[in-house]
Amino acid sequence: MSEAVVEIDGVWKVFGERAKDAMDAIRTRGLSKADVLDEFGAVVGVKDASFRVGEGEIFCLMGLSGSGKSTLVRHINRLIEPSAGTIRVLGDDIGKMKPDALRAVRGTKIGMVFQNMALLPHRSVRDNIGFALELRGMDAYHRSKLADQALETVSLHGYGDRLPSELSGGMQQRVGLARALAADPEILLMDEPFSALDPLIRRNLQDEFLGLSANLKKTTVFITHDLDEAIRMGDHIGIMKDGEIVQIGTAEDIVTAPADDYVADFVAGISRLKLVSAAKIMVPLDKYQSKRGPLDMSQDHPVARPEDDLDTLVGLSTHSELPVLIKADGDTIVGVVDKNTLLRGLQGSAEE
Amino acid sequence: MSIHAGTGAEQRIVDDRDVSVEAFVVEKADYYTPIFELLQRGKLPRWHMNIWGLLLPWFWAAMRGTWIMFWIALALDVLAIVCLMQVVKFSPLLAEAQANAADNVTLIARYSGWIQSFGTVGVIALIAGRLWMGSSANRFYYGQYTRWRTDKGVANGVNMRRVILAAVIIALVAPLTIYRASQQRLDERACLNQIRAGETVTALLAQHGVSDVAELLPKLSARADDLAAEKASLDAISDRTEAQNTRRSGIRKELRGAERDLSTAEDFVAISRRDRFDCWFIDDFPTVARIDPPEDVVYRSVPDEEAIAAGDEDATKVIRIVKDPVEGRVVNIFTYSSESIDKSINYLRANFAGIFDAITHVLRQSLIRVEVAFMQTPWPVVSFLFIALSWAFTGKGTTIFVASSLAFLAVFELWQVAMQTMALVVVATAICILVGLPVGIWMAKNKVARVITEPILDVMQTIPSLSYLVPAVAFFGISQPPAVIATVIFAIPPMVKLTALGIRQVPESTKEAALAFGSSERQLLRKVELPMAIPSIMAGLNQTIMLALSMATISAFIGAEGLGALVTASLGDAQAGKGLLAGLAIALVAMMIDRILKGIRASFSRI
Repeated sequence: MSEAVVEIDGVWKVFGERAKDAMDAIRTRGLSKADVLDEFGAVVGVKDASFRVGEGEIFCLMGLSGSGKSTLVRHINRLIEPSAGTIRVLGDDIGKMKPDALRAVRGTKIGMVFQNMALLPHRSVRDNIGFALELRGMDAYHRSKLADQALETVSLHGYGDRLPSELSGGMQQRVGLARALAADPEILLMDEPFSALDPLIRRNLQDEFLGLSANLKKTTVFITHDLDEAIRMGDHIGIMKDGEIVQIGTAEDIVTAPADDYVADFVAGISRLKLVSAAKIMVPLDKYQSKRGPLDMSQDHPVARPEDDLDTLVGLSTHSELPVLIKADGDTIVGVVDKNTLLRGLQGSAEE
Repeated sequence: MSIHAGTGAEQRIVDDRDVSVEAFVVEKADYYTPIFELLQRGKLPRWHMNIWGLLLPWFWAAMRGTWIMFWIALALDVLAIVCLMQVVKFSPLLAEAQANAADNVTLIARYSGWIQSFGTVGVIALIAGRLWMGSSANRFYYGQYTRWRTDKGVANGVNMRRVILAAVIIALVAPLTIYRASQQRLDERACLNQIRAGETVTALLAQHGVSDVAELLPKLSARADDLAAEKASLDAISDRTEAQNTRRSGIRKELRGAERDLSTAEDFVAISRRDRFDCWFIDDFPTVARIDPPEDVVYRSVPDEEAIAAGDEDATKVIRIVKDPVEGRVVNIFTYSSESIDKSINYLRANFAGIFDAITHVLRQSLIRVEVAFMQTPWPVVSFLFIALSWAFTGKGTTIFVASSLAFLAVFELWQVAMQTMALVVVATAICILVGLPVGIWMAKNKVARVITEPILDVMQTIPSLSYLVPAVAFFGISQPPAVIATVIFAIPPMVKLTALGIRQVPESTKEAALAFGSSERQLLRKVELPMAIPSIMAGLNQTIMLALSMATISAFIGAEGLGALVTASLGDAQAGKGLLAGLAIALVAMMIDRILKGIRASFSRI
């Protein structure tokens, strides 16, 4: 990981009138969530969360509703003040900023997309997109130029003069995205941006966003309650439960080595075809040969690379009765995948 | 309650609150279970009686916690008994009248009629009421059961504490009501006389240095006797000297006083316990305190001689004139407070005349400007503007309506008067916007402001306008300026409330988005909240204008000119036609403005 653009360290958020007392009690006495609720009537929204997002990376925060992911992401632009912990954005401690500096960061460095779009109904699409620029005092001419550019980026060219209510849900969310992109911020915060859309449009927008992201290289924190979406979008995924981040890792890490039963429960239904690489399931060559006898290298074995996914291996083995050889750089055979190993790998129980 | 750990990620808490009736009724489940089942199927016959509901409905209802039925049963029974009590009340009167039947034919007919009808209604209410209770008890109880299943707060089971509570309620409500029904109406002055007698006796006790009325009476009668004897002896002298004559008239006066004291004291002793009780509990709320009236002060602004001598010609100063109190005058709390308010108004008016005069001046000047604009703009121009506005913002129908309304005003020669009314409304509305908008914003943003402002607005909206016209006159004189003030007080609440509502209705998420893009509080208000509140604010403005127009009539009572003055004048002269036509003109003006504003509002609320 390169230098972290967003860095969250030990962040707690306690809601309630006596949140401060509750936080002190948690620090000194180590109360549990239930104790805090009992004693102070305070709710722990985020519990000791830490993560780092590197430049240009997409970090997915995944969790069920009420798991505190939306609360956590609002700490990054300080829409919510943390009860404890530090948040650094581009190296600056956001908690120590004066209101003016904070507004400047929000307006120029961080763009945000909301689940319910939250467009201003009385403004045209163009004025919505130019909103952050307008707040900064940019003149109307430059504003509309940048807004039109942003519209083009999200393939809504020519819709600038409509009102948001005239657009479909998917289009409105594109406007929301364009609004976030218009000020050309380094960081994007996406709070369940596609959750309210129907599946087809959701997929469409996911693809489009991935394409955009590959070009624009925005550091993104992406919130979702949908593991499929998290796996599609995220370079890294953080799984949240009851305000706590229970596991952080790549999609493959999480699917192949869930940290606890909760995560395991989640990933149980996920298709491993595109997630798991050959390296994760292959049997080392010597181990394979010691069990099954030496391989007849003269035969035409199908060959794959360690980073190829299961989908590729399935494709290869349907054309041949022979096990697939996994060759690393320099053509050395590092492992073997036969049909049994492959089927087990698909099922999720790699070890025999 | 039990926790079933789901196989999924979610845990569910399952409530054992049961489907079975038993958990609800606790006792006599064997009786209620089949009954509830019949009710569920809609098969319980109407004639089916709950025997407890028939015989002791309030007891049963209280025990089971079926409070609705408790109150209905109590009301029905008390109603029936009150009716029967009328029989008790009128029977002696009837007997008295029958003693002299020939002279009292109408009275006898009236009393026997009342006795008969009240008696019948009472008996029917008792029997029918109980039958209805008996057959409805189970239905009420079933209703309670269905509510209980979704709401734990609903009473269930059998609880004797509820019976005690019910007994307290019955003891508080029933005996007094029933007793009152059996009594004739109290003499209006009886209770006041009682209080006065009490006060006199207290004074006499202090005067004679005794502590008990029993001791007081002989003293009073002895004194009366002494005075009577002395008077008699003086009367007996045939040729009285000048001094004796003076003495005689003095004694006469004293004797009258002494006899009055004696009779008051005797009356006071003679007041029966029952009369005292009646005055305390069954008539009007008793007078609890009689106190000395506030000091009778008048503040008057007079020329300040010293300052005038020093060269300041218009100098005035406020002097305070205290009048002697009326001997022995005591007042109740209401009179005390109202007189105190009078005094404070007088004080404010005298001491801050400059401020009120300045406000009056500003109001008058702005009114004159607006009146000039409305009344001296030639009528074709004004009507063209109205018609053009309605054409631009509303449909053809409304434009025709506006044109015909204007024609009505013109043909009936109400044009100038209507324009005067318009001027008043415009000035009042302008003030409402200037004051109401900021206050509304403040109220939306600040919780403390909301707590303070809301009750004030409620009072402003509901207090009868006639009751603040008088102070308005006191402060601002008569004619237009106080009318504007009164109109503003009456018309501003919707402006404030709907502005606050509009701003509070802006979704949190939208505000959050604006903040996330770096908006400051000011920008949030100006670029997000106010624009999004505009439909609501326009609705408030519309209501404000309508209220201002309706106030125009009332403010004519304090000399405001315009259509309202025609209405009040016609009221004084009993000219129905004039009043109706002027009233119709007000209605038409109101509807014109309303329709045009609605059109403007619609064009704003594209969003």
